[in-house]
Amino acid sequence: MSKLARVTLPSALRYRGGWPYVSWLLHRISGIGIVFFVGMHVVAAFFLYAVQGVAGDIANALTTFYESTPMQVFILFAVLYHAMHGLRLVILDMFPRLWEYNREAMWVQWALFLPMFLLPAALMIMEVTI
Amino acid sequence: MNVKVKIRRFNPEKDRRPRWSEFRVDAQPTDRVLDVLQVIKENQDGTLTFRRSCAHGVCGSDAMVINGRNRLACKVLVKDVGRSIVIEPLRGLPVIKDLTVDMEPFWRQYKSIKPFLINEDDPPYMERLQSPEARARFDDTTKCILCAACTTSCPSFWADASYVGPAAIVQAHRWIFDDRDQGAQVRLAILADGNGVWKCRTIYNCTEACPRDIEITRAIREVTRAIVTGEVS
Repeated sequence: MSKLARVTLPSALRYRGGWPYVSWLLHRISGIGIVFFVGMHVVAAFFLYAVQGVAGDIANALTTFYESTPMQVFILFAVLYHAMHGLRLVILDMFPRLWEYNREAMWVQWALFLPMFLLPAALMIMEVTI
Repeated sequence: MNVKVKIRRFNPEKDRRPRWSEFRVDAQPTDRVLDVLQVIKENQDGTLTFRRSCAHGVCGSDAMVINGRNRLACKVLVKDVGRSIVIEPLRGLPVIKDLTVDMEPFWRQYKSIKPFLINEDDPPYMERLQSPEARARFDDTTKCILCAACTTSCPSFWADASYVGPAAIVQAHRWIFDDRDQGAQVRLAILADGNGVWKCRTIYNCTEACPRDIEITRAIREVTRAIVTGEVS
């Protein structure tokens, strides 16, 4: 008997589950992104305050990285998307009969998410200060 | 129309790893993918292995990955998938040969939720009566044909084969919400286990893959709700 049951990551990503699957993948990617972002903060703080000497340069390099505009735009995307996707799931989970309207709920989620993300992202990229 | 068919093959007696075979087949747009496979087996390569039984979307034997998505080969028409068809075995179950997978892990999960009527009362003289409204409560989940398209489209199952899977939860739903059954709490306890409903990440692949259009995610969440509230209604 063959033991070819393990599903590799490339094989899993090739599955065409449609928008709900893409939506879930983005949820996971944004979640991992948030963990990395917060992790970098913790590591930078550790090097800055707990370790003496050359560690200060590492802390500065990390801070410069996560305070850069692309990283700030990414984290805005990650936090907003993760929160809104999570809220949609919580609402549908609480009222299972609404799962029938999952597709419509996804459109509502994107309709709310895009302006909430794109407008601040544009201001950040153009370096507009209010 | 001339159709290019690419099939992921594996023969445990010869191959160390899966390989791809390509075939050219003349098919009508209204032919089913199962017909195309049958033509290949009869005319081009008799060693091609796949399951088929009723060939009319009832027995659930021929679930496979067609153009990247779980479907029944007997329900998909050539015109719906185009001139280039890529066929793979279901993901997450051991491949026996070519497109035939070992369903034993799937049946084990199915059996684990006690898929039969549990009723300790004396049987009536004739059948156990049920109102149309009570029957309608679980009508959707009675449509399941156990083809495994849902379970093998689920990333939670891909990651952990001990997860009971969408199909078993759908089957449990069919009995939990049946008012003639008295085993709801037993099944809810089984599904409240770490390998039960909590491994569902609401990815929705199962609902998209179901060839019977069962609202699987909804059924899973109704079972989850019954576990949380302790009420079956």
